[in-house]
Amino acid sequence: MRRDSLLRSTPFRLAIVFAGMVVMAFVATGVAVDQLLGWELRQRQDQAIRETYTVIANAYGDSDLTDLLETVETNVRATREAQRVFAVTDRNGRILRGNVGAIDVPEGWSDIPGNVIGLAPELSYRIFLGVVDGHRLLVGTSRAELDSLQEILVSSLAWATLLVALIGIAGGAWLAHRARYRFAAVARTMNAVSQGQLSARIPLIGRGDDIDVLAQDINEALERLERTVEGMRQVSADVAHDLKTPLNRLRIAIDDALEKHRRGGTVVVELEEAAAEVDRINGTFEALLRISQIEAGSRRSRFVALEIDAVLASLVEIYRDVAEDAGDTLIFETHPASGPAIRGDRELLTQMFANLIENAIRHCPRGTSIRVAAVRAGPRIVVSVADDGPGIPEIERDKVFRRFYRLDKSRTSEGSGLGLSLVKAVADLHGAELSVEDGRPGTRIQIVFSAPWTGERAPARGTD
Amino acid sequence: MHILLIEDDRKSAERVSRGLTEAGHVCDVLDDGEDGLFQAMRNSYDVLVVDRMLPSLDGLAIVRALRAAGRKTPVLFLTAVGGIDDRVEGLDAGGDDYLVKPFAFSELLARVNALARRPPTVAEQTTLQVADLKMDLLRRRVTRGQVEIDLQPREFTLLEVLMRNEGRVVTRTMLLERVWDFHFDPKTSVVETHISRLRAKIDKPFDTALLHTIRNVGYSLHAPR
Repeated sequence: MRRDSLLRSTPFRLAIVFAGMVVMAFVATGVAVDQLLGWELRQRQDQAIRETYTVIANAYGDSDLTDLLETVETNVRATREAQRVFAVTDRNGRILRGNVGAIDVPEGWSDIPGNVIGLAPELSYRIFLGVVDGHRLLVGTSRAELDSLQEILVSSLAWATLLVALIGIAGGAWLAHRARYRFAAVARTMNAVSQGQLSARIPLIGRGDDIDVLAQDINEALERLERTVEGMRQVSADVAHDLKTPLNRLRIAIDDALEKHRRGGTVVVELEEAAAEVDRINGTFEALLRISQIEAGSRRSRFVALEIDAVLASLVEIYRDVAEDAGDTLIFETHPASGPAIRGDRELLTQMFANLIENAIRHCPRGTSIRVAAVRAGPRIVVSVADDGPGIPEIERDKVFRRFYRLDKSRTSEGSGLGLSLVKAVADLHGAELSVEDGRPGTRIQIVFSAPWTGERAPARGTD
Repeated sequence: MHILLIEDDRKSAERVSRGLTEAGHVCDVLDDGEDGLFQAMRNSYDVLVVDRMLPSLDGLAIVRALRAAGRKTPVLFLTAVGGIDDRVEGLDAGGDDYLVKPFAFSELLARVNALARRPPTVAEQTTLQVADLKMDLLRRRVTRGQVEIDLQPREFTLLEVLMRNEGRVVTRTMLLERVWDFHFDPKTSVVETHISRLRAKIDKPFDTALLHTIRNVGYSLHAPR
């Protein structure tokens, strides 16, 4: 199993392939070197033989054999163990001087085994035979030296090849082991993640190599996944929690109705109560659905150019009487008039601003003054809905846009806790920045739209 | 009134059909899209009530085919998908109104009634009258008896919607959509506030009340019976 997985490891396979390629390169080089060196050595040998031959042949002068014979004799004496062979014959072919037993070779160059010249048959020689004034002169060199040189070359190359192959395989195995160790860490992490441990991360060795880079990318993806899943888990937990209460009330209403019916009473009030609870549950679902559809962003394809001023003015006109009935005042200020300014979805923007205005009316005590304002600041339009009510504690300001978040922890007040989540979703859809600020006193919710500066700067105009 | 209901959820279809019959209408029920389109083309109905999701042919496709064939029968879409895009899609396909499940039957009835008796040439009408309450649409004047009544623009629209539906119930949601262009459920008493202001102008100073509240359903404007 272990060896099997070693053979399948990519770094090991790479190492084996590289070792194989290096061995092949070594063998090819060896063959080439062997051929070249052999040829070169033979050339030199031939040259040396020819030079010796010339020197000996030149010793023959004026039909006098004495010098020639003496030179051959000198050369023979300088030779060790038939390393080099010499012979000179008389005109009848009888050997006069030399260290060979026979001279049965053709004229010119020849390669012969030792027995041809009366020596041991396992020896081999390179021979040159010439004729000097009817005397045959033989000069030759043993090939043993040459052969042994080539043998050394071949065997050293073979050893080097073996060594390279071994180092390649060992290195490959080591790399494979190391890589496998790190891939195993990746696999362990992914296993942990698939078993629900979303916080698992791949350990980095900090060398910044390719595996580290890959691991980092995977870790970042896991990070996002964990956040998304955590968000969804939170939402489903909130949904479950927030539906429990109305479901429980529904159950109670039905139980009451059954009980009353058994005693022969009318159950209209209880059924109306039950219907109201069902409407509330449905309302929560619809709000959630709407928020997630807004977040999906498909609505952006329906954006049109619209005047924020007009949307706000119309809302303020609608809600002024509602605020008055609640004992509050609602005013609208715009300066300078913002003109045809942003691209957006009128229906969603209307709902967003309506939510903010309704929040102020519902959550503030009587006598609150609510100010809706649109101010143009360079290319941006700052819309704010401010009240001088009780305000939102600083630590809660970031949390109010969460789904089901309510300042009233007892959740006794009306409302789904989804109104501001919808506001956030609509603001995000329009690329607007949403923030909650201290109204000093009260709450000021600000939405900043970044819009291209299209219209002329209109003179300041107050509309209440 | 002859109504065709194309709805594949049997329980829901039964309830709607029973309700419409009790309200004095004749109601045919089909549970398949293709059958529905065939019947709608063959007979002349006063109103079609069409579910968005149907076997064989969905609600949008039925209405598109009807409109392509030049049939102007008013269509009310029903849907379980309360998506914001769905309403726009439904109206784009040629639907006239849209209702999201779950709904109160009274809401459906009010919308069906409003659709069926919609005057074919709305634009030509320049005056509306309910009892001694008169509305001049061109000069945007309202009088009751000899007294001229001063209305805010939004109150004028509110009264116009109520007068055009004289004697029929107009639900709170219908008012929100038609008067304020609100396609969401406000958490404050927008409708109640404006109804009470309107009532103070057109009813309070006079002997008889024309604007009536139908509890849990909506409002109705009619002469005293």
